[in-house]
Amino acid sequence: MADAGAVITAVRHSEQAGHRTLTSFALAFIALGILFAAVAASLGDVFFFRLATEALIFGGLALSVDVLLGYAGMLSLGQALFFGLGAYVSALVLKNVLPSFWLAMAVTLAVGTVAGLVAAVISIRARGVYFALITFGLAQVVAKVVFNTPRLGASDGIIGIPVITIDLVGFTVDTGNARAFFLFCLAFVMALYFLCAYLARTPAGRVLAAIRSNEDRVPFLGYPVGLVKVLAFVLAADVAALSGALYPMLRGFVSPELLYFEVSGNAVITAIIGGMGTLIGPLYGSALIVGLKSVIGSYTAHHLIVIGTLFVFAVIFFPQGLIGYFKRPLERRLGARSASTSP
Amino acid sequence: MHGLIDALQFIFAPQIVNGLSIGVAVILMALGLTIIFGLLDVINMAHGEFYALGAYLAVSLLAAGVSFWLCLIMVPVLMLPVGYVVERLLIQRVFDRKDRHVLTLLLTFGLGVVLEDAFRLVFGPNTVRMDTPISGAADVFGMYFPNYRLFVMAIGALIVTLTWVVVFRTRIGAMVRAAAHDRQMASSLGVPVARVYSATFAFGVGLAGLAGVLLAPIYSVFPAMGKDFILLAFTVVIVGGMGSIKGAVIAGIVLMQIQALASLYVSPVWTEPLLFGVMVLVLMWRPQGLFGKLGNG
Amino acid sequence: MNAGSPPHDADTPLLAVRDLSVRFGALQAVDRVSFAIARGRITSVIGPNGAGKSTLFNLISGAIRPDSGQVLFRGTDVTGRSPNRLLDAGLARSFQITNLFFELPVFENLRLAAQRLEPGWRALLPTQRSAHALRRAEALIARFDLAHKATAAAGALSHGEQRRLEIAIALATQPELLLLDEPTQGMSHGDTAETAALIKSLAGELTILLIEHDVELVMDLSDHVVVMHQGMKLAAGHPAAIRANPKVQAAYFGEAAVA
Repeated sequence: MADAGAVITAVRHSEQAGHRTLTSFALAFIALGILFAAVAASLGDVFFFRLATEALIFGGLALSVDVLLGYAGMLSLGQALFFGLGAYVSALVLKNVLPSFWLAMAVTLAVGTVAGLVAAVISIRARGVYFALITFGLAQVVAKVVFNTPRLGASDGIIGIPVITIDLVGFTVDTGNARAFFLFCLAFVMALYFLCAYLARTPAGRVLAAIRSNEDRVPFLGYPVGLVKVLAFVLAADVAALSGALYPMLRGFVSPELLYFEVSGNAVITAIIGGMGTLIGPLYGSALIVGLKSVIGSYTAHHLIVIGTLFVFAVIFFPQGLIGYFKRPLERRLGARSASTSP
Repeated sequence: MHGLIDALQFIFAPQIVNGLSIGVAVILMALGLTIIFGLLDVINMAHGEFYALGAYLAVSLLAAGVSFWLCLIMVPVLMLPVGYVVERLLIQRVFDRKDRHVLTLLLTFGLGVVLEDAFRLVFGPNTVRMDTPISGAADVFGMYFPNYRLFVMAIGALIVTLTWVVVFRTRIGAMVRAAAHDRQMASSLGVPVARVYSATFAFGVGLAGLAGVLLAPIYSVFPAMGKDFILLAFTVVIVGGMGSIKGAVIAGIVLMQIQALASLYVSPVWTEPLLFGVMVLVLMWRPQGLFGKLGNG
Repeated sequence: MNAGSPPHDADTPLLAVRDLSVRFGALQAVDRVSFAIARGRITSVIGPNGAGKSTLFNLISGAIRPDSGQVLFRGTDVTGRSPNRLLDAGLARSFQITNLFFELPVFENLRLAAQRLEPGWRALLPTQRSAHALRRAEALIARFDLAHKATAAAGALSHGEQRRLEIAIALATQPELLLLDEPTQGMSHGDTAETAALIKSLAGELTILLIEHDVELVMDLSDHVVVMHQGMKLAAGHPAAIRANPKVQAAYFGEAAVA
């Protein structure tokens, strides 16, 4: 019989190896981002910064997909609903109310939470493919409504979002400054990531993982499954909405395309290629896919054939995705190294 | 009294026939979906793109001088091997994994993305119009029904009946149902299960292709046409019950009638949300649909 | 965990079931079953296949709702309450068909269950901070002899180990009443004996209601036996009395072998 505390130590050890691995990937991502900023700055073309910022913004959306899919096992095919909603709300606030970043974010958070709650109540009782179809349908319906609402610019969307200044502690970021805004978005999206990664390590996050593993047993452990799922859904909605809120600050306009299924589908593809369940994977995935699209785009407009094929390939042969693939070996090496150094 | 008869004659009846003719094509799509789901336990998110493939094949064949009537036969036949190969090479690879439902959904979704962009690549992004093969309208009690739509209804009813007969009244159908119900048992009884699965998927895909040919003259052909229909088809399948042929037919008729009649009073923009609302209500109160059985999906 | 329940005297049975009934289509699965369980005792429910034992468990543990009848736990009517609220009240169960979190490590399976003992707000702090839950999980691993597999996935365990884990998970929430659905199902002879000893050792801490097929085991373990047949309660009483009961023998062995 093992002595008291030995089991806990062994478990803690194995969990920390996993945690350290993912944090390494996260820090590497930040480092890569900063490196990119240095390189792109020297090239002088604003285009690269704008593209990379877009990759970050859509990476945040893919992150929201992973929160639901990688943890609770809930496939949402309609995250674009919240993303687009956040974009429109942010645009409206910045253009018509006050060009204040914090106000736009606060309102987006509020609206995203309410929308998330409503959508959750409608869809949470369904499981598996039915849940996916409800989220798909919800996004389609809202997209159609927005498309046909003149007040929201109908098919043209809303243009003329002003360049704003983001007031931070001690300094400001001008959204017109491509490099500064890129670094800001990097920090913002990584903040979203660290929040989600933290929650994943809490008992609340673990219950989510338990729901994915065996939903039927969870109530018998004493947890209100419906409530937990709703909270996860609202979290994902907020992450998507806040990411979307950055979009008008980057592009100066929003349009109904942001709510279309292509955006939701793309987010799912990104999350899976990047690595389901890792949370940092989707961010890598977004960088990869946006980069790929850009490269392929210089040859042909049909980048979706390549990306779609890559995705199908990933689903069949690499369902754990890019980060998932590298996670295990790195985990083992980090675990082994700390084992030899711990008392 | 006069007003009511006039309304019936000039407003409601044409709408009802419209609803039925489109409904038939939606039912054919839903039929393929529900068979693939009910018998194979696979969610085919690319079903809309197979429907589009059928339409594009028809466009190509017509351009090559083939008559529309020959197309009606050739296209589904050409689609069969496509479906067979897709099932064999792609779907069967993820079939035995634990999260099979999510994986097949994602897989077919990815396939749909590739197909849609392929259409754009090969045929261009523009809409292709197709001439109505049967022109004119039939005069029935002073009401005019376009001939082609009547034809679509007739063909559709025929196909649905044939499908039902094949699935429930033939030996092949019995084999398929056995393989669907208990794979290992069927296999040990000598049923070539893998081939049966592929053939069933092919059949569902063929139905989608046929719907594509039938509806092309009415709806025109463009790369994203599958997306327009897929939610509708899934709505019918869910309301009718996943895996139920009877359910797909009845739900198809009912829902299309609701849509056709609703569009008389409400802007067409709101009919899709209306149908979607019906689907959500069904999923909340009776997730197995009208005639389905829980335990699939 | 004991929020809101009235204090009761030692005479109130911990669990009382009154005229509990449920029907599935044409089948009356449970038919007006009534019995009571006193604190601290081990009660077994036995009966031939299809007698409705698991359905009875499902009714008591909140998995399905009865058509009629009542379930009283510590004197309070808990009929139709959801499983997680029943757990709040102190009622936990294990499953006949192993129902673990197969992808998750053994320790995590237990920690998830034990976490319930911590105050709600701790759910938003890192898991490592819930020391109480961690220690409880560890104690259970030791008690159920699973230390060597603590970090292995639950799905990688042998059948006997999995069945032990099933019981351990139900126990992790510190229930007052533990429902065990065929805990020794599929176990080897040695494992069965060990499990029986384990169940006996639990008897002092909590009350146990178990379903079992192994009649010898039941006779050995139980203070009280309830026999079910075709959805109805056939007999109830002390093991020896049940063994001698001709109606029970008839139910198990058919009308012919009454002697």
